[in-house]
Amino acid sequence: MDYGSVGILWPRISRGVPMISAGTFHVITTELTVGTFALSGVAFLLCALNKGPSSRESVAHWALLAGLVATPFAIISGVNATSGEGIDNPMLANKLLLSMTSVGLAIGVLLRRMWGSTVDLRHSCVGMTSVALMLTTAGIGGEYSRGETLLLFIPKDTVMLFPLWASITILALGLLIFAKSAIQHRS
Amino acid sequence: MRFKIAIVLLLMILSTTISTANPGGKGDAIRSRDCAGSCHGSSSTNGSSGAELAIQFQSEVYAGLLTEIETSVSFAEVSSNNMVGLTLLINPDGAKDIPANDGWEIITDPNGGTNNYVEVVDSFSIESMVSQSWTLRAPSNSGNYNLYLAIQHGSPDGGIAMTGISPVQSVTVSEVPENLPRLADDWQPVNSRLLGEKTEITLDTVNTDSVAVELLSGGEIINLEVVDNKFTIPAAVNPGVVQWRVILDGEGPAQTSPWFRLNAVEPGWKVDQTALYMQGFALLILFAGMVLIQKPSSAPNEGKKYDNTAEVNSQFVAIKEESPTQTNTVRPLPAGGLPEGWTMDQWEYYGHEYQGGSQ
Repeated sequence: MDYGSVGILWPRISRGVPMISAGTFHVITTELTVGTFALSGVAFLLCALNKGPSSRESVAHWALLAGLVATPFAIISGVNATSGEGIDNPMLANKLLLSMTSVGLAIGVLLRRMWGSTVDLRHSCVGMTSVALMLTTAGIGGEYSRGETLLLFIPKDTVMLFPLWASITILALGLLIFAKSAIQHRS
Repeated sequence: MRFKIAIVLLLMILSTTISTANPGGKGDAIRSRDCAGSCHGSSSTNGSSGAELAIQFQSEVYAGLLTEIETSVSFAEVSSNNMVGLTLLINPDGAKDIPANDGWEIITDPNGGTNNYVEVVDSFSIESMVSQSWTLRAPSNSGNYNLYLAIQHGSPDGGIAMTGISPVQSVTVSEVPENLPRLADDWQPVNSRLLGEKTEITLDTVNTDSVAVELLSGGEIINLEVVDNKFTIPAAVNPGVVQWRVILDGEGPAQTSPWFRLNAVEPGWKVDQTALYMQGFALLILFAGMVLIQKPSSAPNEGKKYDNTAEVNSQFVAIKEESPTQTNTVRPLPAGGLPEGWTMDQWEYYGHEYQGGSQ
């Protein structure tokens, strides 16, 4: 068996004896992430349509939270499982940017709900956007590892990379908005 | 209704087909046959490949020295992507079967790597024979060794994965003769380089007086100049493989090395990872903030379902209005002052009763 691609996680967990490869662990965490996000997306769709059981709001948000918890494991195991060094493919870069955007939207949706907002059409649409971005990320991963995808129309080889100063500016702006909205919600 | 849904679901399940092939391949790697042949699913679902497999050895294989083998695949009916997985093994058992278990070292596989399992795309068909070259370092101990070539591929109709393995191919590994001109035991060839880069290679030889290097490019053999055991392979313009070999002369019989393959690849995609990670975090914070900055919308009644503050307050007001104020009910003191034993507080509350009684 090839242990060349075994990541840094497992030797620590199993005292030096590899248990499963990072690739297998990545499959598990990816299934968890995609599954819970997809469940959340369906529940948000029902919320937007105002149809279905009354538990749809709880399902949408709890499933989204479960997906958020699984996402870091999927990212870390994915980085460990890749054969190259670091991010050496435009698809990997796009996966990172899409998943971070999705996580940002999901955190926003959950905090907004936690601070008392109702699940209206706008809230549901933001939740569904977060889910769509995460599923697109998974689709790109499928093309990266297996060379096949249904997302033929998405330019996956083009990366929109900002210069560092622009990213820092956006980060500062984001923190400002985040802090302002937190104060508003609490007052 | 539920019964109908159950029937529909059952029909959907029964209409599924078994597809165990992995059409994109799994990638070159060092794999046991168990993994290379049945990663797709249960090995019991694999079909038996009709391909004929063979391994051709050099006439002399010396212990610890480099040698070249040629593997051939004939009559393989493959899927539409013409991809075949080839595995070099030392036994057909599916365990402890990689060549390294017998001391073989794969120096260059057909794809320019160092793996015993390679995925090859070529003109495989029922009428063709496709050959591949491998460069190996023989085990350091002399003796008889067995090698097998295993194969896996899809089928033309895209149904199930096909697997097969060659008959045993035996080779005798001999002791190295004294004074045999050869490359040093620890010398390793370069397998890959980037486009546009010249490659300088330094040879490390033993018992060798003179060295000649031949470069095979486009079917033509070119002699390269060797100075102090160093030579340079010109830069490649396009991705592809060039082959070269060394002819060594010394006191012993002249030796010709295997063909070494040098794979020219395009430079990998590079990105400023700091900028990328920073952009990722910036997007995370920005989008979370943009969602939160939206005006919180609360339903008019939701959350106030159990809040009866207004109702209770209104009842308090009504009670207050109905009950007479204390200032209006306090009767004036009798002419003789407070009755004996009374306090002022008692008079305020019970004075009207005293006066009513005394009247």
